[in-house]
Amino acid sequence: MAAITLIEAVNMAISHEMGVDKEVVVFGEDVGINGGVFRATDGLQEKYGEERVIDTPLAEAMIAGVAIGMAAQGMKPIAEIQFMGFIFPAADHIISHCARMRNRTRGRLTLPMVIRAPFGGGIHAPENHSESTEAIFAHIPGLKVVIPSNPSRAYGLMLAAIRDPDPVIFLEPKRVYRIEKHEIEDNGEDYPLGMCFVDREGTDITLVSWGAMLHETKQAAEKLADMGISAEVIDVATVSPLDIDTILESVEKTGRICIVQEAPKAGALGSEIAAEVAEKSLMSLLAPIGRVSGYDIVIPYYRLEKQYMPKVEYIIDEVKRLVEYK
Amino acid sequence: MNTVAMKVFNLPDLGEGLPDAEIVRWLVKEGDTVALDQPMVEMETAKAVVEVPSPYKGVITKLCGAEGDVIDVGAVLVEFDGDGSSASIDASEASTPTESDQQTIPATQPQTASVSQPQMITVTGDVFKLPDLGEGLPDAEIVRWLVAEGDVLALDQPMVEMETAKAVVEVPSPFAAKVAKLHGQAGDVIEVGALLVSFGDSEAVETKTASVEQETPVENKPVDAATVVGAVQVGNKVVVESASAVIKALAKKLKVDLSQVSGSGIDGAIIQADVKQAKKDGKLIGTKTAASVAPPINSQPSSDENPLDFKASPAVRAHAHRLNVALSQCAASGKKGSITKSDVDAAASSSSPTTAPKPVSVASGGLPSVQVSVEPQTVRGVRRAMAMGMAKAHATVVPTTLVEDADITNWPKQDSLARYVRALVFASKIEPALNCWFDGEKYERLIHPNVHVGIAIDSPDGLYVPVIHDADRKDATQVRARVQDLRQKIESKGLKQEDQQGATITLSNFGSIAGRYGSPVVSPPQVAILGTGRFRSELKLTNKGIENRKMLPLSLTFDHRACTGGEAARFLAAIIEDLQKAV
Repeated sequence: MAAITLIEAVNMAISHEMGVDKEVVVFGEDVGINGGVFRATDGLQEKYGEERVIDTPLAEAMIAGVAIGMAAQGMKPIAEIQFMGFIFPAADHIISHCARMRNRTRGRLTLPMVIRAPFGGGIHAPENHSESTEAIFAHIPGLKVVIPSNPSRAYGLMLAAIRDPDPVIFLEPKRVYRIEKHEIEDNGEDYPLGMCFVDREGTDITLVSWGAMLHETKQAAEKLADMGISAEVIDVATVSPLDIDTILESVEKTGRICIVQEAPKAGALGSEIAAEVAEKSLMSLLAPIGRVSGYDIVIPYYRLEKQYMPKVEYIIDEVKRLVEYK
Repeated sequence: MNTVAMKVFNLPDLGEGLPDAEIVRWLVKEGDTVALDQPMVEMETAKAVVEVPSPYKGVITKLCGAEGDVIDVGAVLVEFDGDGSSASIDASEASTPTESDQQTIPATQPQTASVSQPQMITVTGDVFKLPDLGEGLPDAEIVRWLVAEGDVLALDQPMVEMETAKAVVEVPSPFAAKVAKLHGQAGDVIEVGALLVSFGDSEAVETKTASVEQETPVENKPVDAATVVGAVQVGNKVVVESASAVIKALAKKLKVDLSQVSGSGIDGAIIQADVKQAKKDGKLIGTKTAASVAPPINSQPSSDENPLDFKASPAVRAHAHRLNVALSQCAASGKKGSITKSDVDAAASSSSPTTAPKPVSVASGGLPSVQVSVEPQTVRGVRRAMAMGMAKAHATVVPTTLVEDADITNWPKQDSLARYVRALVFASKIEPALNCWFDGEKYERLIHPNVHVGIAIDSPDGLYVPVIHDADRKDATQVRARVQDLRQKIESKGLKQEDQQGATITLSNFGSIAGRYGSPVVSPPQVAILGTGRFRSELKLTNKGIENRKMLPLSLTFDHRACTGGEAARFLAAIIEDLQKAV
């Protein structure tokens, strides 16, 4: 059992499923010979051949369209969009067709496909490489949107995504691709989709996050514990469909909630979670619903990027405000 | 940077660190004379088609490869006419990079130098060569050194900011060591694989260009260079997955009751397979036998009140907090057992403050000491406004009160308030001096042509005096509608500033509660207020004999600075006249 990083776990899960299911194919820009710009598909072409690990031209619309065609005919394509910032040429296929196929054909055709894309900031990347636009796809009925926060979840959720009969947008928080390792047994055991994971139990406030920001959120929870504030930490993991019940249960236990997200604040997933809590758990709230977010701006380049990223101290400050709220 | 021997051209790295390229099309023939920089061939890499220019001026003697051939980087591509000797070089040396460094970027990933150029460097101590910082770009520019020669660095301490064509990247130290030399200055472009930093003390003699030589079979694919766009933070810490979080999530999804599941994992831990099996066995939530169900939690409110034991909206919680009412003292008449605002109000009016104030011992002479609870309340909002307004009135107004009764025996059943308003309007037309504002400092009075009647309304929060504007232009229905509207606004705390401004005269109907006569307080700049007391039946001597009459007591206070007694008496007489009309 090897200690591996999140990106290696993605690779392991894909490789595992390609080994047991001949219908699984991988394609995208640089995924074959190069092994992916982040090494997500490293070694797969050598192992499974050029027919199942395919380098495509630089054409995202085509990548999504081919995936839909393959999936409609019973294959299980895993398409890579090299960076989420480049997914928009493919958005017409994804939103107008991929998400609707089951509905359009009254359940006759489902699309067992995965579209992978690294997303999020904090790695000093150039323009269109750092955005967190998960809410765009979370808004589309018919798509599942999954964001792993650690290597084990990348492995388990990727397997679940490939095996799911419907399309999954699998967004990989690239900032934490290599930040830590997990001992993972390559046993093919998937994780439940559509469920939040309660990573830490607490009584004073519920901290809700996903993807890379979960790391800051957990650090904040540690420091808050030193201050005598007991924080519950929830990894949303599947941001659509949202497992709001787990979040509401927690809020009804703690009476407070702070949502931590890297995306800009307006119209983001945190807004939806806040609205659900206000609608359904209002009677349990002891304080306003708190949010720690990115700013409503284009995420800056290298020099100012650090100013943009939500920080552990911001989370602590917001939690203190909510806990002290009268 | 091409490994160019005299008159031999080897395939250079075409800019992406790729190991080879395919000949798409020759643009020249053997025997051609080419100029410097004249395109000779189109080569296709995995990334692009590139035109390769001639490095010489001269005659081509040999093209080493046909269209469609794949040429390794470093292999001979073109030979030129030279000094009679078509010297070819040992291409194999350059084509297969053998030099591999372990200590490159902190990825602790195997890292090869760029295939383009073997660097033969011998230095003392440990060295650090520029690793591939992203997508196989061939070089990077030094933006800024973050350390100086002689500094002792910690492992992973940032040493230098390097800018590639794609990003600025902080390069961390692969060693905990002293910096011996920095190879380059800000602005210098350093090739991948070139020496960047030397470590160690000057006396160090050990030569160590690379800690581990790595056998790297380079075929069609470069070894993993951990190429990334930008700088991905790297950590080697092994973290344990929170397995219980996953088990609980799965159990919840499958609606499995975990308390009925026994674990088959290490140390009896429940694993995912156990949960799935439990699902098949029907060990679902709500299937437990009654005997094993835990007793319900005691619903007795504890003295140490947990706010989450009570369902209440934030507004209700705030309201309870303001009124100093404990939620445990409130009924829960709302949806799903929630506490409403009225529950809090009811609790506030029925009980003393319940957030136990400090008991104070009071000893009184020979009597045993008693425990009393004393806690002053800060007066806020409407009640404070009332206190300030009354103090001002008392300090400025010279009040005089006239009392008299009106005989309302002939009234049909009707809303008396509308009649009082009508009487005020009527009297104001007869004697306008009381429907007036008075400025005691400038000695100015303003007689109003219209009548805006302030109505004193009592509420738990304090005294409100909202206004029926233009009462002289409203009929009874409109007046009643306006009063109803104002009451609702007070109830819902929706009373606006403009609802409370502009009164020219005020009515206080204290008789609806109790009280025969009173001395209502004039609110400046108004000069008069009419108090209406409780009706009573009275035996009156009339010219028909003794009759049972229904009498309405009236108390008119006026500011004697602004009005004469005669004006006030005439005003009161007019009121009585109007009130005594049957309709």
